Amino acid sequence: MLLSPPFNSRTLPNRPLRLFAGAAIATAIATLVVAVLYAIFTTAAGAAAQSSRVDVLHLVGMTSIQAGLTTVLSLLVGTAIAWALNRLRFPGRDLIVGLFASAIVTPGLIVAFGLLAVWGRSGWINQTALALTGHSFEVPIFGLGGILAAHVILDGAFAARILLARLDAIPERRLKTGQSLALSPWTRFRVIDWPMLASSLPGLAAIIFLLAFTSFPIVLLLGGGPANQTLEVAIYAAVRLDFDLQGAVTLALVQIGICSSIILAAAAFAPVSASTGASAPPRWRDHGLTRALQWAVLAFGIVGFAMPLVAILIDGIGPGIADVMSRASFWRALGTSLAIGTGSALLTLTLALGVGLGRAATRAPLLRISIGAPAYAYLAVPAVVLSLGAFLLVRNAGLLPETAAPVVVLCANALLSLPFALATLAPPLDAIAEKRGRLIRSLGLTGWQQFRAVEWPLIGRDIGVVLALSFCFSLGDLGVIALFGTEDFATLPLLMYRALGAYRSNDAAAIAALMLVLTITAFVLLPKLVGKLTDA
Amino acid sequence: MRSFKLFALAAVICATASPALAEDKPVLDVYTYDGFASEWGPGPLLKAGFEKTCNCTIAFTTSEDAISNLRKVQLEGTATKADVVLGLDTATSGEARATGLFAPHGLTPEGLVLPWSDPEFIPFDYGYFAYVYDKAKTPNPPTSFEELIALPDSFKVVIQDPRSSTPGLGHVLWIQAAYGDRAPEIWKGLKPHVLTMTRGWSEAYGLFLDGQADMVLSYTTSPAYHAIAEQKDNYAYAPFSEGYVAQVEVAGILKSSDQPDLGKAFLAYLMTPEAQKIIPTTNWMYPVIDIGDELPAAFGTPPDKVLPIDEATLAANGRAWVDAALAALQ
Repeated sequence: MLLSPPFNSRTLPNRPLRLFAGAAIATAIATLVVAVLYAIFTTAAGAAAQSSRVDVLHLVGMTSIQAGLTTVLSLLVGTAIAWALNRLRFPGRDLIVGLFASAIVTPGLIVAFGLLAVWGRSGWINQTALALTGHSFEVPIFGLGGILAAHVILDGAFAARILLARLDAIPERRLKTGQSLALSPWTRFRVIDWPMLASSLPGLAAIIFLLAFTSFPIVLLLGGGPANQTLEVAIYAAVRLDFDLQGAVTLALVQIGICSSIILAAAAFAPVSASTGASAPPRWRDHGLTRALQWAVLAFGIVGFAMPLVAILIDGIGPGIADVMSRASFWRALGTSLAIGTGSALLTLTLALGVGLGRAATRAPLLRISIGAPAYAYLAVPAVVLSLGAFLLVRNAGLLPETAAPVVVLCANALLSLPFALATLAPPLDAIAEKRGRLIRSLGLTGWQQFRAVEWPLIGRDIGVVLALSFCFSLGDLGVIALFGTEDFATLPLLMYRALGAYRSNDAAAIAALMLVLTITAFVLLPKLVGKLTDA
Repeated sequence: MRSFKLFALAAVICATASPALAEDKPVLDVYTYDGFASEWGPGPLLKAGFEKTCNCTIAFTTSEDAISNLRKVQLEGTATKADVVLGLDTATSGEARATGLFAPHGLTPEGLVLPWSDPEFIPFDYGYFAYVYDKAKTPNPPTSFEELIALPDSFKVVIQDPRSSTPGLGHVLWIQAAYGDRAPEIWKGLKPHVLTMTRGWSEAYGLFLDGQADMVLSYTTSPAYHAIAEQKDNYAYAPFSEGYVAQVEVAGILKSSDQPDLGKAFLAYLMTPEAQKIIPTTNWMYPVIDIGDELPAAFGTPPDKVLPIDEATLAANGRAWVDAALAALQ
């Protein structure tokens, strides 16, 4: 049933250009992935094959369990928090929403250190317990538990942000009807909220699973030893330690295969979104126990999610911050980060709109999947393979790596943000196509008029979220830049990592805090700003 | 939309374009690891020092670590623009030599404090892998791997993954050199004490400074940083009776270099007192020549019991040692 929604395809306006643009972007991304793998493969062809020392089945099994648990927990927690935040209004709500959204784009390492500052051996909880009771209260934060906790902080908060946007977009009319029928809190969730959430969950689940499946620094930092590993680590080792490129490509293909099946499953099972609308939510509060539960969920969310981030701010904002900010290198890195962030935010939005609009312009399941699935490529291709392949492609094209570096970093960051952008934009775009397709057709609007008059005003807030997401992702990304680095081309995360590598953990903490402030600001301001623009 | 993209691209390129190099001077391209060339590392000072006399320009190209530089050169082959690769160490120079990409340096290093006869690589600093601890928190540190293993399981150390980190690999070699066939047994014993195995040195050291563990695998020179840069004398390295394994950082010239003479001059410069004085307080390693009082007292004397690692044995067995260590920790 989900595969073929019950509606008449004739209600959709005929938009060949949109289809073409979406298909072109999808083809370009797929071609890039193939080219990257092919470049490595041809380079590796001369080398003798090495015996693989990786127990692939074991690794895949371990990683799948970890990623599966991460996905289920993140979605549960994310749904609960989105539900609570949608119902509650309080001073500072925007800031809390911004803080939650910031988790996913904050470099994983920073979040992991924030987590330890709260739950670790000399963290707040343990220190308080020691001071109060004289006994230490050590949480087993290293091992599977720690990996899950860090992943859920990153991904659960992201899920909450996306799902909250869906709930906030429930049309006013529907809420008023529900309120007049005096629906119980559970019926309200089931009848009004769930249809909005359901369309976003498969895409979110796929993203979270892939993020957890390919996670690297967090897994090593909190994993407690080689028992907890991912394929991504093995691929990195194959390239770095063994220089076994054939082995690396083989392992990468295994990872891409598994990830693709997840992506395809998500694409196949995603129901078309319920309607969307720009709503000023009416005051329909739940009461009594439900409200208490909402406050409890929020409190839990703040303790669990915001505390590690607050710890980062407290750790970083000290006397050292003035020293960091007095450095020319800081301002250069900030400038580079802002430029890359802005560029990749615009590029991401363009790509996401192209793919999202193209996908929404057809009801043929296969076509929809072929347009949508390649957007997730970045999550499936191991980072080290991607940067290695990009490096080889640039070289084979006869370009100097440092000349190509900004473009490659920009493209890589856009590809990194694209799945998240699509998870944000695709459900509302689908909803518009379904609910208003007939109207648009009967009015005889052109594609541009459709976008300007119908879609743009309705997805303004989501566009803001997409811009903030991709801007901050590029701000925090460390991945591709490593292989292309020259000393003149540094971003804030690279600067932070350099400080950490030069014993300067206070400087690193200060840079981490500044990045977090920047991220939260972007997340609070950008959706509002774009929301205002589209309302006008 | 298109103009937006172009604008964005232009903005990025303008913001990141490297300053134009003076056209008439030859350029020496040096591949090194990121920390070396960063503002806190020795790179900028060494560049300035060498450029004063060479009538040339040094251009650093960085990767996240030294081994990535080697991989990059291997990928680029003879078409690489690199003249010098700087930052490989004694655990990886054998592999680099085997690629056949490096040329003999033709230098006769004099006054080195290390015995040295490598025809392709010259040393520019060195250190010993060691466990660093906080004297205030751990008054009686273990003095051998066996003592460490005998401590209660609550005594935690942070180490690095040998597949992704130089000290992590050095740790494997250290235990191997000290215990030979008994190495897996030592690793088994270490397992309950290993809080976690991080991707790189930075994360591990960060965890230690945050108070998450009692000791961290680092260098004998690490305490000198805290003493000199932070005026903190509470950090020390645990004196292990087995002896230590050295990490000697080296530099070599590529056969494909179009500036072999400049490369040779730069390698020679690296071993001069002028350059060696820069190294200790920027790269936090020992100098390879005796620089007398210029070496801050906080560095102390390097440990005297050094365990040798044979390049051929390492090449033949390194991978198996890493696998055995990882298997024991599983």
